[in-house]
Amino acid sequence: MAQDNRILRHAGIDRLFHWLTAAAMTVLLATSLLPVIGVRFAWYGIHWVAGLLLTVLILLHIVRGVFWQRPSTVFVIRSTDLHSGRAGKYTLPQKLMHLAWTVAVLVAIVTGLLMLRKAGVSFLERDPYVRSLAAWGVLTLLHDLAALLSVFLILVHVYFGILPEKRAYLRAMLSGWVTRADLKPEHDVDRVERGD
Amino acid sequence: MSMNILRYGHDSYGEQVVNGASWDLLPVAFWAGVAVIVIHLVYRAFSRRSAHKGGG
Repeated sequence: MAQDNRILRHAGIDRLFHWLTAAAMTVLLATSLLPVIGVRFAWYGIHWVAGLLLTVLILLHIVRGVFWQRPSTVFVIRSTDLHSGRAGKYTLPQKLMHLAWTVAVLVAIVTGLLMLRKAGVSFLERDPYVRSLAAWGVLTLLHDLAALLSVFLILVHVYFGILPEKRAYLRAMLSGWVTRADLKPEHDVDRVERGD
Repeated sequence: MSMNILRYGHDSYGEQVVNGASWDLLPVAFWAGVAVIVIHLVYRAFSRRSAHKGGG
């Protein structure tokens, strides 16, 4: 894991996942929200294809997380995460950001997949009568709320990604590596190296 | 000017049903994100200034 002063933070497959997910989310939000603000185009075909791509990416991410990584590293909040300089691989704000993305993306995917039946796609015949209007309304409401939460999260996520003092995390998401000096202010390097 | 939380439609019996979230919430989500950024920038500026003073 460690080589000289460098520590591998994100493997290539995880970086690829991150940027493909970012691209899919950008396409999904653009195709759904640009028409809302008056930019008219045939958005639906692009939207459902990007939605299925996102679904596949998230499934692969879950499989990789469960079988090749330790989900507790990012999901479990420990008391030491509350103290500066003692966090494991992820700081408390990073864990909360991941949790918020988990909620937004899973709600968007589940409701989006169910709504494919309402609008129809090339491999699934349209049948809006399988659910009541009220049920479609609730699914659409949850899908919309996930999109709105994503707008908020993208702004905050990108802001913290480009802050100068957080630049090492962005570098790690591009090149994979951080140095021990990068981690020192907020992380317990021993915990990081244990994969905690 | 009032802001709507939900979008409504009507079923075949004329009953009101929820169609989704109101798009009035889109600028709310955007400005909430901007607010977090501004608040953090202000907090960051003050904490840097006090750290600078503390450091002599």
